[in-house]
Amino acid sequence: MSVAAHTTPSGYLLPSIHSAPPFFTKQINPTTRSIADDHWARIILGYARHRRLFTLRVEDAETSGNDWDEIFRNERINRRLLPDHLASLISSMVTNNLAVYEPPKQTRSVLLYWRRPEEWADVLHSWVASTGQMNTIMTFYEITDPPVESPLSSLPIVILRKAIDVLSKSGRAQIIAIADGEGVRFFPGGSKI
Amino acid sequence: MALRRYTRSVDGTIPVQALLYDDEELVAVQDSVGIYDGSQKSPEHQSGTIHLSTHRLFYIDSQQEATQSFALDLAYVTQTDHYGGLFSSSPKATLYLTAPSSSDNLGLGTITTAVPAFESWECEVCAYRNPPGLSPSAARICSLCGVPRSAVPAPEPRATSLPSSPPVSGTTTPVSHDPTMSIACPACTFLNHPSLSVCEICSTPLPRVKHSSERSFSAKSAPASRPRSPDDETVPRMIKISFRKGGDKAFYSALKRSLKGKAWENNERGTPSERHATTRSGINGILRVVESSAQNRENDLQDSLQDLEALMNKAKEMVRLAADLNEKLTASASSGPSASPLNTSINSDSSALVPVTEPEEATFIRSSLAQLGLQMANTPVTLDMMKDDRKWFDELARELAGILQGSSRSGNGSTGTGLLGERGILPLDEVWGGWNRARGVALIPPSTFLQVIPLLSSYTDPPIRRRTFASGLSVLHTPPFTDAAFAARLSGLLALSGPKTTIEVAQEEKMAVGLATEMIDAVEQGGYICRDDAQAKISGSSGGGAELRWWANIFEGYSWDGQSDISQA
Repeated sequence: MSVAAHTTPSGYLLPSIHSAPPFFTKQINPTTRSIADDHWARIILGYARHRRLFTLRVEDAETSGNDWDEIFRNERINRRLLPDHLASLISSMVTNNLAVYEPPKQTRSVLLYWRRPEEWADVLHSWVASTGQMNTIMTFYEITDPPVESPLSSLPIVILRKAIDVLSKSGRAQIIAIADGEGVRFFPGGSKI
Repeated sequence: MALRRYTRSVDGTIPVQALLYDDEELVAVQDSVGIYDGSQKSPEHQSGTIHLSTHRLFYIDSQQEATQSFALDLAYVTQTDHYGGLFSSSPKATLYLTAPSSSDNLGLGTITTAVPAFESWECEVCAYRNPPGLSPSAARICSLCGVPRSAVPAPEPRATSLPSSPPVSGTTTPVSHDPTMSIACPACTFLNHPSLSVCEICSTPLPRVKHSSERSFSAKSAPASRPRSPDDETVPRMIKISFRKGGDKAFYSALKRSLKGKAWENNERGTPSERHATTRSGINGILRVVESSAQNRENDLQDSLQDLEALMNKAKEMVRLAADLNEKLTASASSGPSASPLNTSINSDSSALVPVTEPEEATFIRSSLAQLGLQMANTPVTLDMMKDDRKWFDELARELAGILQGSSRSGNGSTGTGLLGERGILPLDEVWGGWNRARGVALIPPSTFLQVIPLLSSYTDPPIRRRTFASGLSVLHTPPFTDAAFAARLSGLLALSGPKTTIEVAQEEKMAVGLATEMIDAVEQGGYICRDDAQAKISGSSGGGAELRWWANIFEGYSWDGQSDISQA
């Protein structure tokens, strides 16, 4: 068995534990299982950040050929993550506030919080400041799909909204209803990064 | 001549009880009798035993029982006479025989068809399969519904004859029942079977037009076609039983009783059975018969259980007697120095204590006791040996310890391995079963067993303790099989030789797979190991039983060596 760390084709460095077959089995012992779950959550979030993936579905473990193949399947030791194992991982991540069910009221797919909404708020505010768009009204679309690639590109609206909520609470942003939907205006001030 | 004509030879080596019909009973027995054929002595039948049953007389010859024994149907006896004896002449009973002329065929038919009478047959009214073994007359009616058998077997085996085949004339004794002869009930007009006396539907008595002709079982049979021997009329048809050693009076009166009882006659006839017959026919009768047979079976069962209980009591006395005897022997033989202060049966291993100079009789008695399995060394501790419960449990624990570990029990170090043997762990049920098997008598109930177990550790070396797994399975184990010791051993094994399946672990530890599963589960609960389920295989999980491999806990103490989270700002 190979116990060394491994770098995936996409350049993500998998920890050595990912090459141990027991890692792919749902452990019965609660202590052991919580350790394994923590490691899984770390791998999932790290990989999601690496690939800028925001959603994770239980189906991702059922089929091959999707974005998550590199971590959910380990051909070198002939192991894969079983869907029900992934489902339990997801639920433990939601419990630990590392993800949120999206859409709500189901447990098959989640939005991953590889940045917490507060962190996203800071990222958003500094991006707005750095691009000189303070005090202008922007649509959500302008934020998530800017002409120049940004840290916020393709950010799901749900997370964006949460980030704006955080900013508006500290007085750094304001939601404004505009003709065809909603817009947001950012203000400098408050706590600076 | 009379003898040969009316008797049937039987195999006297078979006990008479086995020759009887199911509905026949043995009434009297007399030995040292001789038989006269007519007025002359029958030379081959001069010393034997005569048995009287409700149906027959059996003569069992004392010398040539296989060939010279015979049976005589009491149905042929018309008259009897008793002769008290005079001087050297022994008392005799004379039996005048007649073949009842009207039912001559019946009689001879019975003789010749004796074998078919012993086969089972199916009643054509109620389809009840009548068992074999009834007397010929009883076999003529269905024992469940009481309807006469329609076709009595022909002399030749009637394996192929249909139940509804018309009666063959000659030796058959049919109750003819053409369908047209059914008796219409005067009340409800239901066409009843001719042999019923009351209507099957409404229980109205039926007109018995056909009854008189039915009574003689030869209504349709042809006149006797068998040629009679010329001396039939001249020779007096009688046999005498000569009682050489008395007993004649009692036997004669029993004979009279049997003759009067006429048990061989179909009990559908006769005055007292008229009412009986009505209850025996129809649905009601069937129900009653079934009920009474169930009752009989229950009675039999109860009787046998009582017998068993009585036997148990006797056995207990026997054991006590043996114990007393052995105690006395031991006391007299060993003059005391080697006797241990604890005079309980456990450690007073008799063979070890008794010196070689034991008297011969004592040795003999002891060896016969041993043959009976009543050796004192085997005698289990029972409650009545002990003064109080506390001591009783202590002794039981001592005994169980001996059984488990063997060595302490077998006195002078003989190679007796106990129940535990080489294993260090045993399920509780196996221990309990093994203990009771070793005790043989005075078995220990599980409740007592459970009370004894906590005391066990102080009598065993190394101490044996009880352990209950999460599943509820309880075991007795030696120290190497405590959870901690086993976990350490298992982790060591896994670290040394890589992942193992449960079966491999069981082989390594020489224990049952089920037990190993329990043990490993307990270790996993403790977090020393983790599992790798082959179900998570990408390929090659060929449907079979999902293989589970055990790994040393790789998660414990693992430090992250993957991509650092801070790599991206």
